[in-house]
Amino acid sequence: MKKFPRRSRLLSLVAITIATGLALTGCNIHIESKPDPTIPQDTLLLAADQGSPMYQRNFNPFMANRRIGAAYIYEPLVIVNDVNGDVTPWLAQKVSQPDASTVMFTLRDGVKWSDGKPLTAKDVEFTFNMLKTSPTLDLQGIWQYISTVETGTEEGNQTVTVHLKSADVPAANIIAQTLIVPEHVWKDVKDPGTFTDDNPVGTGPFELGNYSPQQYTMNRNETYWQKDKVTVKHLILPATNGQLAMVTQGYDWGYMYMSDVEKTWGGANKYNRFWFPPGGVISLQPNLTKAPFNNPDVRQGIALALDRKQIADAATEGSMQPATQAGILLPNQQADLDPSIPNGGVITQDVEAAKAAFARAGYHEQDGKLVDASGTQLSFSLLTANGYTDWLRAASQVQRQLSALGIDVKLTQPQPPAYQLALRNGDFDIAMGAYGGLGSQYQDLNGLLNSSNFRPVGQEAPSNFERYQNPAVDEILAKYRTSLDPNETRELGYQLQHAMITDLPVISLYYGGSWGLYSENKYVGWPDADHPYASLKTYTPTALLIFTSLTPRDQTEDKK
Amino acid sequence: MTYALRKLGMLLLTLWAAVTLNFFLPRLMPGSPADAAIAKLSQNGPVSAATRAAIEAQLGVPGGNLLEQYVHYLQQVVTLDFGVSFTFYPEKVSDLVLTALPYTVVLVGIVTVLAFVIGTLIGVLAAWKRGTWMDTLPTLGGSFLSAFPYFWIALLLLFFAGYVGHLFPTSGASSPTAVPEFSLSFIGDLIYHAALPALTILITSLGGWILGMRNAMINTLGDDYVTFAEANGLRGRTVALKYAARNAILPNLTGFGLALGGVVGGSILVEQVYGYPGIGYLLYNAVVNQDYPLMQALFLMITVSVLIANFLVDILYGVLDPRTRR
Repeated sequence: MKKFPRRSRLLSLVAITIATGLALTGCNIHIESKPDPTIPQDTLLLAADQGSPMYQRNFNPFMANRRIGAAYIYEPLVIVNDVNGDVTPWLAQKVSQPDASTVMFTLRDGVKWSDGKPLTAKDVEFTFNMLKTSPTLDLQGIWQYISTVETGTEEGNQTVTVHLKSADVPAANIIAQTLIVPEHVWKDVKDPGTFTDDNPVGTGPFELGNYSPQQYTMNRNETYWQKDKVTVKHLILPATNGQLAMVTQGYDWGYMYMSDVEKTWGGANKYNRFWFPPGGVISLQPNLTKAPFNNPDVRQGIALALDRKQIADAATEGSMQPATQAGILLPNQQADLDPSIPNGGVITQDVEAAKAAFARAGYHEQDGKLVDASGTQLSFSLLTANGYTDWLRAASQVQRQLSALGIDVKLTQPQPPAYQLALRNGDFDIAMGAYGGLGSQYQDLNGLLNSSNFRPVGQEAPSNFERYQNPAVDEILAKYRTSLDPNETRELGYQLQHAMITDLPVISLYYGGSWGLYSENKYVGWPDADHPYASLKTYTPTALLIFTSLTPRDQTEDKK
Repeated sequence: MTYALRKLGMLLLTLWAAVTLNFFLPRLMPGSPADAAIAKLSQNGPVSAATRAAIEAQLGVPGGNLLEQYVHYLQQVVTLDFGVSFTFYPEKVSDLVLTALPYTVVLVGIVTVLAFVIGTLIGVLAAWKRGTWMDTLPTLGGSFLSAFPYFWIALLLLFFAGYVGHLFPTSGASSPTAVPEFSLSFIGDLIYHAALPALTILITSLGGWILGMRNAMINTLGDDYVTFAEANGLRGRTVALKYAARNAILPNLTGFGLALGGVVGGSILVEQVYGYPGIGYLLYNAVVNQDYPLMQALFLMITVSVLIANFLVDILYGVLDPRTRR
């Protein structure tokens, strides 16, 4: 009987060796991109749409869970570059605002639906009215601004005039980004709210090709109004595309976070590129209805105590930079920034100044703890959503850095839905949160700061979760809303930036990235830091800007 | 007969309890389906208040108090109409389940039967040849493999056989361009795609069957009637299969019944790793997105199939083993 134990020991030894060997080699294996040779040069493989795990056939462009391809089929009146707010006229060749409560769109001539019928002002009017009668589809909430819509002509061009409920200049861009659908198809739809639009008819550069629950293809619309600018003939959108697939299967364009991007994505193929412009500001959002966070000195102290570079590095593996406190995204919106603000508004760590600020708020150090007059330690819970790993890494850094000053920070991380609920109800001390990234300073800060979005704790707030109320800021926003003078709005923007810096309604930490990955193997002309004409988001109308900018790469250099 | 009736009564009572729990548990999760949808959207950027209102309206977040919802839910259960999914709005829950069910039942079902048959046979062999390498190898290997977390095996296989070796596809249940039809090439494609998930489940579940069977069999081998059979000069194989194994298989059979009931629940982690469009993946999506209608339908299906499997095993036991009938 003696030999069995020895044999089993030998066996486990072998097994352990194999397992360790597997684990070790696993770390060292270099993954290379193997593009599918059956995909031709004029076809892009996109990691744009995600089935779960299969696709549901739904191309209704107004639904939250539509197929992403709908964004390449339906077009808006204008496209706003979400990086810097630049506006490109699209189905409308001109947008004018005769006064602050009227917007007039002059339609482009010669635009055709993919079934051959011409685009008319009636289609635009129909789309707007449909969003009124089917409010569940009005994702941008355009009918909170619109009073009436009328069609007309001006110098032989068809026009659509939108009368607003009140003077609201920035609303024009929100309304103008509505995707337009054809009246002759949609008028027969009984309930647009549940319509899945299986065979979409649009004005955009692509039409739906072969559809299967695991992948669909799109083909160039041969009657597209700027067909000469679109050189990509086909798109392939598979339903499953994780990081590993993205790297190994020769994708041309994707939008996803990639760990260690230079080595993984960049290392897989010499044509692989990435561009991560700021897409939002990740911030600490203190509950301003609660003591001591309603004390600006306490917020000042926290803001000064943080080393943002370290937080950004930890959260994004060094991909993103510390964020300005000015409430905008830099360098995207550099043109909007008040040049008199030092250091671009980025707060740098200054522990002594932080201690001084806490002292002004009545706190002092005692046995390594920061305590108030009654001897109670400054202590709060930091709310973040479970599974948002970058936020969690940032929150841990905040916890570590503040505890060095004697502040007690507890992390709470409920599931995302519960996090959302807590945020809206004001059920937190300080929360991790994102703001900005719409490209428009007014839209970004109006949601964050306007007291019309304020709700008492316990009631669900639509935005302004930190519960900020400041009549002076409300007044700036009101003026901004009614001003048609770009010089005045620039000045008002400066005032908002100063309010953000002095009042610290939220404490900006670092930029959340807009995770664009692309390959120059087949096509060049992608947006990048030198050509920020769009972000690399695959699911917004800005993709149309990219499709009309790409040109085939000169392949002759490969043969040298 | 009273035995069967008593069991049937138990079945109905448990069923009601399960159905009721199934209603209340998802509602104890904090946040609403709209919160889940917004949380998903807001990872890409800020979500405006208008978007939130539209999404809430789209999802038709359940109205009425809990009691009204409960009564409505009971009606749904009886009529098997679970309404529209929140996550895949406006798809019907029943359509989603019917699409996913065949994949899971075929994949997990076949593998479960295979694992049971192979594992049990190996267990018989191991016990019969106990003390030799034919015992040590499967016993040791079995406990070794079943100790691995199966998602880890899944990831290893995916990485080495899929990404590095390019031997098998890495996700999906068929090639993206394959046309579903009753042809040899399509079925081949399905099997090709099911290979890695099947292998994962097989590797990790085999051990349990081997060990269970071996240990039960070793017990019966010591019984007098086996010695008597051997003394009578019966052939080794006859003794092993017809005398020892037949009596030793009862505990494994119970396990098999339960495993079959659990087949419907799919294999969440394996389906997740391989992007396999079965019930497990659907369930995961439903939970993550607080999709009450979908969750209710899936949990109900799983509970009912486990309960029914249990009931059938109980009845079968009554037939196989007269002692339980008392």
